[in-house]
Amino acid sequence: MIRVFFTLLLTAVMAAKATAQPPAKQIDLSQFPADTVDNVVVPVPSEVFAVLDKLGNPNWREQLGAATTYPATANRAKDALLLGTVIADGFIAVEAEDSERVKEIGRNVLTLAEAINVRKSVVARSNSIVEKADAREWNAVRREFDGALQDVNQAMVELNDGQLAQLVSLGGWLRGTEALTSIVQEKYSRERAELLHQPLLIDYFDKQLASMSPRLRRNSLVDEVGKALEQIGPLVKKSSETEIPAETVAEINRITSQIVEMIRAKAG
Amino acid sequence: MTMMKKFPRSQRFNRLLVVLAAVLTTLPVALAYVDDALSFAYEAANPYAQQGYVIREDAWGGDLGSGEKKAVTAQLFRGNNYIFFLATDVDGASLRVNIYDSAGNLAESKSWQRGRFAYAEIKPKATGTYYAIVEVLSSPEERTGWALVYGFRK
Repeated sequence: MIRVFFTLLLTAVMAAKATAQPPAKQIDLSQFPADTVDNVVVPVPSEVFAVLDKLGNPNWREQLGAATTYPATANRAKDALLLGTVIADGFIAVEAEDSERVKEIGRNVLTLAEAINVRKSVVARSNSIVEKADAREWNAVRREFDGALQDVNQAMVELNDGQLAQLVSLGGWLRGTEALTSIVQEKYSRERAELLHQPLLIDYFDKQLASMSPRLRRNSLVDEVGKALEQIGPLVKKSSETEIPAETVAEINRITSQIVEMIRAKAG
Repeated sequence: MTMMKKFPRSQRFNRLLVVLAAVLTTLPVALAYVDDALSFAYEAANPYAQQGYVIREDAWGGDLGSGEKKAVTAQLFRGNNYIFFLATDVDGASLRVNIYDSAGNLAESKSWQRGRFAYAEIKPKATGTYYAIVEVLSSPEERTGWALVYGFRK
């Protein structure tokens, strides 16, 4: 009993001593590479869209374009990229507060998830997206789209298809960046353009693509995505975070529009 | 001089099986305590959803010994407010999370520690890469599972 008391006392004293120190005002990040957590949490498009909303009044319906349902193909890499772009569309439809489009996209997510064998994992999310879009609970819909991404990811990892899951994230990022650059282009400001300063994500996706199996890397669409990233990377990295010029924004828009169009082109 | 003990092939194979069995039995436990830590992190973050924060479904996790730190990289956007919740399932453990910018400067506007939870809040001054430094200050366990979730609001 006494021993337990002293152990608890010692733990409390050590905790108090440890917590007493305030955090360092500055740290040397070069000491951390070996201690850095490998996984990167890819921001959902609405993190960027929220800022764009604050900086102006973007025409989200225009970004959404005409209602289109994307059928699955026999190419699983293409379907994974496509699913990512459709989920990103879901986030755009939420910004547009267009419940009908959100519901259509929720159903399209299900069709594409079926093509990559993860339908079961996203059924509940899809139903919830429809239900919450009807109730116009937009933050809840955002979280359900985010959840759909995580469920797909987890299901794919369980099926030993983790690399396809990366393609879903990448497809979403490309479509989100296309929408972002399109809006910034419409009404350029340094503040808006700064949202493109994402070197961490570009490096992360580069590494993911480089570590994919030779079979996936030989896929012509994955190869094109890699080439698109190779073009976007230097554009983002050469610009300072506070000064991404209008021409750079236009160039990134051209590259992302082209690759999203390729992802969405019907398999021929 | 220490002698390395050599085992015949069959014995080495048996030892390998034992090691594999140990890894396979401890792996789900390791994953389970990160899962438990994650549940605690969401429990702490959920009240903020009522205040308009979108709490992300994706998260970071791992385990650390007392006094160890890990850096978690995050892409943050100027214009949003971000909140980070760090939690563990280990009773009596004390954790800390602090946010630094890419130059290594402390960038958070607020942080606190309460029991098994730690919190940091940031309104980024620039869009870019930030580092959440996760630290186990003290713990009664040798390894302490942790999970970090974040949320954002415009």
